[in-house]
Amino acid sequence: MADTLSYELRINGEVLSVASPATATLLDVLRYQLGMTGSKRGCNQGVCGACTVLLDGVPVRGCLTLAANVGERAVTTVEGMSQGGTLSRVQQALLDAGAIQCGFCTPGVVVTLEAFLRDHPKPSADEVRHALSGNLCRCSGYVKIVEAAVIAAGAAP
Amino acid sequence: MRFASPETIADAVRLLSEEGARCLSGGQSLVAMMNADLVAPSTLVSLRRIGELGRIEVGSDGGLSIGAMATHATVAGLKPASAGAELVIAAAGAIGHPAIRNQGTIGGSIAHADPAADYPTAIVCAESTVVVAGASGQRRVPAADFFKGFYETALGPGEIVIAVEVPAGAAGARGHYEKFALIDGDFAVVSVAVIIGMSGGRCSFARLAIGACAAAPVRDPAAEAQLIGTPLDEAALDGAADLLVGRCDPIDDFRGSASYRLKLVPRLLKRAVNAAKQKAERAHG
Repeated sequence: MADTLSYELRINGEVLSVASPATATLLDVLRYQLGMTGSKRGCNQGVCGACTVLLDGVPVRGCLTLAANVGERAVTTVEGMSQGGTLSRVQQALLDAGAIQCGFCTPGVVVTLEAFLRDHPKPSADEVRHALSGNLCRCSGYVKIVEAAVIAAGAAP
Repeated sequence: MRFASPETIADAVRLLSEEGARCLSGGQSLVAMMNADLVAPSTLVSLRRIGELGRIEVGSDGGLSIGAMATHATVAGLKPASAGAELVIAAAGAIGHPAIRNQGTIGGSIAHADPAADYPTAIVCAESTVVVAGASGQRRVPAADFFKGFYETALGPGEIVIAVEVPAGAAGARGHYEKFALIDGDFAVVSVAVIIGMSGGRCSFARLAIGACAAAPVRDPAAEAQLIGTPLDEAALDGAADLLVGRCDPIDDFRGSASYRLKLVPRLLKRAVNAAKQKAERAHG
């Protein structure tokens, strides 16, 4: 039987106590223990990007990050993006551009773009595509997603 | 499964001496394999808190010493000051997607030893040295001897990679990494790593390695020797490619058939050599 570990996670500015098997991924803990189901479980192999969260502000795969190995690093999920009920600029731009179809990839896209636009305030569409290369949209709605990123950056679409 | 997060190499090695223990670096392959029920370590030893494993040093000649826990994103962001560094930095930037590069590490990548991964081919081409630590201390393994087969390395039980030392390569030479993949971020169908030096319009230095075409990266000193003194024209490159293709033994898989891979080798080799040659000539006339 897997040993259970007790530890703390810093998620969206809150410190939360968690007890999980050592094998639990950050995605498992977020979804099935903390009920934060924004991050999605797609492939569970690091390919699809639907589980992407920020670790100390940097996009990582929730499914390839062991929760017990997170330690003191700050986790930001899609639930931490809106402030007081107001959507983030990326979330609003995705809505405005019509970039949400089934929505399954959207949480990963949101956190990936938030980190990318923070580091690249005026990206080209090509740079956006590279930044999103690890976020699969099986509705294949990429054109609108890239448009949304450009809108969010404040540039002309 | 038990979980440990030691702060020194000595403690990590001690914990890894237990049967069934595995070390966790970036986890981008190991956790995926655990998720797929392919491995179930009895103890997982995280190397994350061992500060010295994240260290990167740049030598006065532009060579690199890269700590095992340096992420692909960190290495890809370095400014190259030598041909060896240029090659390895380019390979780091070709691995996976941004989120994978933010967590995956050089030590983890080479210890996993997927023959289609990017680092192995690059570090073999650059004649790098893998620094390994175990219960009986540290040892240094030439990269060419480190990769033994599919997912098989020279690491003994309980040993870990602690650094990769990348020599500069010849002064004035330039490195290039050419990767052919079906989609962005995937493993290579075939990859080619080269370091090329030019002098007076002729090749003065050549290192060539082929990835994803055998159980380990392929090099052939005879192919490299053939290029020396030539202007790297079509005939010279055809001759070197023939020798390298003769040493390849690719598999058929969903990324491509063995015969397709062998067909790609000469084409990608030419592309890589020409790119490195042009950079070397621009720098040195």
